[in-house]
Amino acid sequence: MDKIIIFCEYDFDKNKIKDSSYELISKAHELKKNARELLKDENYNYLTEAVVLADEIAQSEIEKAYKTGADRLVLIKNPIFRNFDSIIYSKAFVEYYNQNPSPWILFPATPATRMTAPRITTLLNTGLVADCTGIDFVLKDSTLKLAPTRPTFGAELMATILSKKDPQCATIRPKTFEIKYENNKEGEFLKFDIDIKETSKIKTLSTIINKEENSYFKDAKIVLACGFGISGDNGIYYKKVEKLAQKLGAKIASSRKAVDYNYMPHKYQIGQSGENVAADLYIAFGISGAIQHICAMKNSKTIISINTDENSEIFKYSDYKIVADAKKIIDELCKRYSIE
Amino acid sequence: MNIVVCIKQVPDVDDIKWTKENNLDRSQMLSKINLYDDWALNCAIKIKNQFKNVNLTAVSMGPMQALEVLQYALAKGATRAILLSDKFFSASDTLITADVLARAIKKFVPDFDIIITGQMAQDGDTAQVPVSLAQKLNIVDLIYTQKIINADKNTVSVNQKIENKINVLETKTPCLIAINDKQEGCTPKIEDYIRAQNKQIEIYGAEDLNLSKEQTGLIASPTMVYRAYRPKSEREAELINENIVDKLSEFLKG
Repeated sequence: MDKIIIFCEYDFDKNKIKDSSYELISKAHELKKNARELLKDENYNYLTEAVVLADEIAQSEIEKAYKTGADRLVLIKNPIFRNFDSIIYSKAFVEYYNQNPSPWILFPATPATRMTAPRITTLLNTGLVADCTGIDFVLKDSTLKLAPTRPTFGAELMATILSKKDPQCATIRPKTFEIKYENNKEGEFLKFDIDIKETSKIKTLSTIINKEENSYFKDAKIVLACGFGISGDNGIYYKKVEKLAQKLGAKIASSRKAVDYNYMPHKYQIGQSGENVAADLYIAFGISGAIQHICAMKNSKTIISINTDENSEIFKYSDYKIVADAKKIIDELCKRYSIE
Repeated sequence: MNIVVCIKQVPDVDDIKWTKENNLDRSQMLSKINLYDDWALNCAIKIKNQFKNVNLTAVSMGPMQALEVLQYALAKGATRAILLSDKFFSASDTLITADVLARAIKKFVPDFDIIITGQMAQDGDTAQVPVSLAQKLNIVDLIYTQKIINADKNTVSVNQKIENKINVLETKTPCLIAINDKQEGCTPKIEDYIRAQNKQIEIYGAEDLNLSKEQTGLIASPTMVYRAYRPKSEREAELINENIVDKLSEFLKG
């Protein structure tokens, strides 16, 4: 039987598999239906195999993996995995994979996995489609091919990319899919003991945690988003939007360019290498609408955009458009809300 | 001490021009150094200025036009520049790009101590080449680097910023560092460019790396674009052109 592997990330502090991994388990399980339709074979099936690198795994997590869609959970077992090291993780996974191959591997596009997955695919001499926002199968030469889709800056905007070689691999951006439960679903649990002689070549001297930056956009009702269109003037318009946000109890979002040019701190960035946001009201000040930004905010309920360029991309994704200098509107809003 | 910086020339992603058919209009767009690679270059120059006898080699893979970013690197302070250019290289994906870079570094800078790259390219956004390159060279990588704390011939330490956490990491050379945050640096002046003209940029192709047509570029790349499209929006924007601030305040009231 065919098999799809989900490379899962284990949270050793909370003793659980991360949500971004469960999202992929559910999606992989759901895609069986698409595979059957494509093959026109209602009896076709493949195995959804969740693979975890850890020393042990809580029983409740094993049950949860089955209920969210895994047919099998494999624990690649060694205490060394408690301390993440991309070289050790990738070699261990490849050792398991070479004995238990499959045509498809999905990775959550979290930082640790984005450090590990390219090492794995380089060792396996195969491709890796990065940071995808969609996944499906297509039929090519009458075989099922994994068809991940990602925003890209190629000849067009979104690209569906296939792999000519097996395993066909992709990293998928967290929160792209929902975790779905089937309460009666069962599965099997396997252990793969692994001997590792290597030690990490990287020493962690210290770790600093900035609690303030934790999920800034969680439950955001109103988001005021700043683009590069309000740059210049020593960045005063970003400060004005910050004051407006404070007054209105809103959150601030930023385009990548405004962060790259140091107008805004990284914690406000949404889209590529930043967060996603689904607000009740999203107002974009001087944002042109890079695809990564749009993907990250398009699930907001009401979107209003202000831009001088009548043809700017962001207007296509907005409910209301204002063709004007966003700086002027910010000034007027500040006046309305009595902000200096 | 030998430092290698990998740089890429990219179209200006902040100035996207579209044709009527919804294709990128590259002829109307400017090319420039990938912003993350410019930060990598700034880090490398800072290290070079701290020590005597640092060789700083800038390497770029791309069309002949990419000579521009190498001239820029020389003007900024690189001591050597290598362009990897060949029609067979075109349309290489991340695995093949890493392979070409790894072969070139092994052959032309075999005694490297540190490789510095940008975390990602603005036109590709994959962030996979640095990790894949480190794997091909069998060295440690420190990606998501916010700041290089110290780097000498033997040891490197960095701040690695991941979400709300900063890890202070240390490793032995040789290693690869990928820069993910802004780094201050100087903009080269005209006299720097004139001085840089005295340096010959080395140009190598597939043959110089013992690569055949089948081993590189589009043919060898394991991934291929199956379908490309611009996503359709489900919204249609209504124009607000009067009483703008009144209407905005209404929305803000909820």
